[in-house]
Amino acid sequence: MSTRVVKENVEANITIRPVSKRSRAIKENLTGYAFISPFVIGFLAFTLIPIVMSLYLSFTNYNLFAAPKWIGLDNYVKMFTADPRYWQSLKVTIIYVFAGVPFRLIVALLIAILLNTASKAVGLYRTLFYLPSLIGGSVAVAIMWRNVFGDQGIVNIVLDMLGIPVVRWFGNPTAALWMLIFLAAWQFGSSMLIFLAGLKGIPKSYYEAASVDGANGLQQFFKITLPMLSPVILFNTVMQTISAFMTFVPAFIISKGTGGPLDGTLLYSLYLYLQGFEFFNMGYASAMAWIMLIIVGILTLIIFATSKFWVHYESEGGR
Amino acid sequence: MKKFLVLLFSVVLVFSLAACNSSSKSTSSDESKPKEEKKGDEPVTLRISWWGSQPRHDYTLKIIEMYEKQHPNVKIEAEYAAWDDYWKKLAPQAAANELPDIIQMDLSYFSQYSQNGQLADLSKFAGKEINTKDIAKNVIDGGKIGDKLYGINSGVNVVGFHYDPALLKKAGVDSIPEDWTWDDYKEIAAKAKAAGLFVDSGMKADVFFNYYLRTQGKSLYSKDGTTLGYKDDKLFVDFFKMTSGLVKDKAVPTPDYLAQLKGLEDSDLVTSKGIGVWQWSNQFVGLQQVANRQLEIAPMPGPDTKKGLYLKPAMFWSVGNNSKNKAEAAKFIDFMINDIEANKLNLGDRGVPGSSVVKDALKPLLSPAQVQVFDYVEWAEKNSSAFDGPDPVGAGEVIELMDSISEQMAYGNLKVEDAAKQFRQQAESILAQNKK
Amino acid sequence: MMKLKSPKWWLYHLLVGGFAILMLYPVIWLLMSSFKPSDTIFVTAKSLIPDNWIWTNYAEGWKGIGGNSFGVFIRNTAIIVVITLIGQVISSSLIAFGFARLNFKGRGFWFALMMVTLMLPGEVVMVPQYIVFSKLDWLNSIKPLTVPAYFGTPFFIFLLVQFIRTIPRELDEAAIIDGCGTFKIFSKIILPLITPSLATVAIFSFYWTWDALLGPVLYLNSPSKYTVSMALNMFLSNETVSNWGAMFAMSIVTLIPVFLIFFIFQRYVVEGISTSGLKG
Repeated sequence: MSTRVVKENVEANITIRPVSKRSRAIKENLTGYAFISPFVIGFLAFTLIPIVMSLYLSFTNYNLFAAPKWIGLDNYVKMFTADPRYWQSLKVTIIYVFAGVPFRLIVALLIAILLNTASKAVGLYRTLFYLPSLIGGSVAVAIMWRNVFGDQGIVNIVLDMLGIPVVRWFGNPTAALWMLIFLAAWQFGSSMLIFLAGLKGIPKSYYEAASVDGANGLQQFFKITLPMLSPVILFNTVMQTISAFMTFVPAFIISKGTGGPLDGTLLYSLYLYLQGFEFFNMGYASAMAWIMLIIVGILTLIIFATSKFWVHYESEGGR
Repeated sequence: MKKFLVLLFSVVLVFSLAACNSSSKSTSSDESKPKEEKKGDEPVTLRISWWGSQPRHDYTLKIIEMYEKQHPNVKIEAEYAAWDDYWKKLAPQAAANELPDIIQMDLSYFSQYSQNGQLADLSKFAGKEINTKDIAKNVIDGGKIGDKLYGINSGVNVVGFHYDPALLKKAGVDSIPEDWTWDDYKEIAAKAKAAGLFVDSGMKADVFFNYYLRTQGKSLYSKDGTTLGYKDDKLFVDFFKMTSGLVKDKAVPTPDYLAQLKGLEDSDLVTSKGIGVWQWSNQFVGLQQVANRQLEIAPMPGPDTKKGLYLKPAMFWSVGNNSKNKAEAAKFIDFMINDIEANKLNLGDRGVPGSSVVKDALKPLLSPAQVQVFDYVEWAEKNSSAFDGPDPVGAGEVIELMDSISEQMAYGNLKVEDAAKQFRQQAESILAQNKK
Repeated sequence: MMKLKSPKWWLYHLLVGGFAILMLYPVIWLLMSSFKPSDTIFVTAKSLIPDNWIWTNYAEGWKGIGGNSFGVFIRNTAIIVVITLIGQVISSSLIAFGFARLNFKGRGFWFALMMVTLMLPGEVVMVPQYIVFSKLDWLNSIKPLTVPAYFGTPFFIFLLVQFIRTIPRELDEAAIIDGCGTFKIFSKIILPLITPSLATVAIFSFYWTWDALLGPVLYLNSPSKYTVSMALNMFLSNETVSNWGAMFAMSIVTLIPVFLIFFIFQRYVVEGISTSGLKG
């Protein structure tokens, strides 16, 4: 295709230039660092010290108020061998992530495709679908949710009409976790918006060409929409996975800060918070955070590694 | 490249403008940083922080205004927040040595903050800057850990049974018998069940198990806080057999039912589905207000109620150890606990005042429900025994453990005998960390 | 003559509209409850429409807390939001361009480092970070909440990187042939092409900052500096009666600005700046 021709031309063009390779490399490095310098400076100024400190604290007994005491790997050993609640929180979080993230992303993608047209009415729809996400993590959400899933709430009324026995959503550990997952799916607005921005970037001409070739809607979706959207899908998958692992606010407000019933909504971050700020075991909480970092890091690496096979970057010659 | 530098420059400019902007805002707080001042008339700025709701914010601000009028050299900056947010703020402040001068402290965090040197020892101010002559000794002693006084009691609460007498009659019981016992309680529960009512909404495990242990001459934590305060697991089994038995008999609602409730407004007592609630005396007025009908307070069931009951410090006024104006802070605490006019604004919202003089002055001003609370606390002053002192470090974790274990028993997931063993093993491993 | 709508049109609106209403039920309940007396909200939770409509929740809520009207909290929040938004959009787009388009030594390292900062739970860096800001003497000011925005926000950087990578490189290369410098490529070619994602960043930045609770709770001490999310919590009480009515009413009030911002900006996400500019 023409892309390649242009590219070769440019490369040819550049090599002809009488600039030494080295000075060009130096210039490129300088420009690169100039652009990312705000991040580098901000990282060194605000982030590096706290991160290093939290790593150090994970090897100590630190209650926030007294000086930390070095205890080596004790926190890590306790976590894996002597803390059943840790394993419970890990289990709950994994269910939450692996059920919640695909659920939310699929809903968000479908709605985004439905709303990817420019008309006044659709603009209003987009706003309405975004509204639940705008409410965010305020206490109002907890109350609304208590109403929707309460004994006399709309969910149980509907279940009753369908002849299904009433579910005690706040009293049953499994149901409570699913309620959290529904809440996450309900607030799909951010992912939807990112998908919309991605869909906007797909040139109309691609679809027109495909129509001429006689491809139907479904074929166009799989042949054009999905590959062209894949960088954005990658972004949403990575970010939603990370943020799902870190979810704290919904579990905190729904369970009134306990992670109950029976630790059914004890998400990892909530347990970490309880350890750090309720039980004042900040050393232990820091150790938990670093294990989380490793888990999420490995998962992210896996997603990135597989992305070679399914993510299509237009800028990199369609690889 | 030139263009880029221009942009970078403008970014820096915007950023520094933003910084200037906010720094001009914060100068007021910079000025107010506590300075080293000794003499009485030199200007002093104190930071005070508390949690609570709207009425408390309003009247405390009025008390501050009153104090500032009487002491023109003192400026008091109020920092108040909702309960959850309050504790989120306080912990990093302590870690960074930025605690306010005067801190409203809750019993559950008291040991944690005081034993790590965050709170000042107030013993040298007691009897001087802080007048303690009208306050019973055991009320003051509630703020002691060892021989150090880390907080001044703002008032006391006493646990009891708050109930609707009309619903009690409906269950076929005329009144709660004087000196009632656990057997009377179980009998009433059975009658309530028969009348289609719940007797109560369950008992907060740590509070009421501790009460039960006290009636048996034991306590939940040992004196030094390194282990449990009872040796015989039979006590655990007896108490929780009773509570989980009542759930099984449907006289007390199941935890999953309770979890569905939204708040006070749709709780069983308010909606006339349950006879009473076990709770602290300071919660009575709010409950009565929402229920909007005559409610009564009954003492705890016996035998040995007197041994079990105690005056619990509602909250403390503490002074941050990093405060540079400790004596001035103590003076304001004195004003809040002893000044009649200040307490007329407060009206026992921070617990029934410890000072007998204040109590007498307030009585004519109280609402009927507040009078009930004051009367009950007054009765309890004569019918209770000494407070065991603040919970040890790690109590928060033990309480959470106990809540979760009692929840499992109420769900029927855990046998009481196994729960007793499990609780002992895990609680003692938490408390063992307090061994030096 | 009106053209008859096709069955496909009806089906679309039935499906999408119906789903929207289903999703909005809790929000509608919140709105309706804000017109009910506080003590009847939970008792009458089943009936959506209030028996008699009252406005007192709004009047009472607007009075605010401890002498600061709710308007004060809205103004405080708006100031933080605007300063943060400007910083996040500018810095994140610059940094993202650097990561997505420029080849320099250590690019992978810095990018990985940035991702790592996303993966460490904020709770454990919170206290050390608080100590850093206290050493800078920034406590009780909006600086800890706004200044970091000017150093890029990893989430937005990564988002913009992904969008820039979807832009074909031949555009840059054509520009190089025309003699454009790197910065010109950024400002003249990349920026206009990523306006939909910049609008996305702006929307997110707006409402995340608007909603943020933990940062303001930690760093703002004087109630006159509090933000709306902190003020909303203050209507609740853990000891006595919560003022649900005022809390609901003010939740609705705080939703209005975010709602409007979203409604205005969402077209740029879908249409881009250029086309909507033509329409006026």
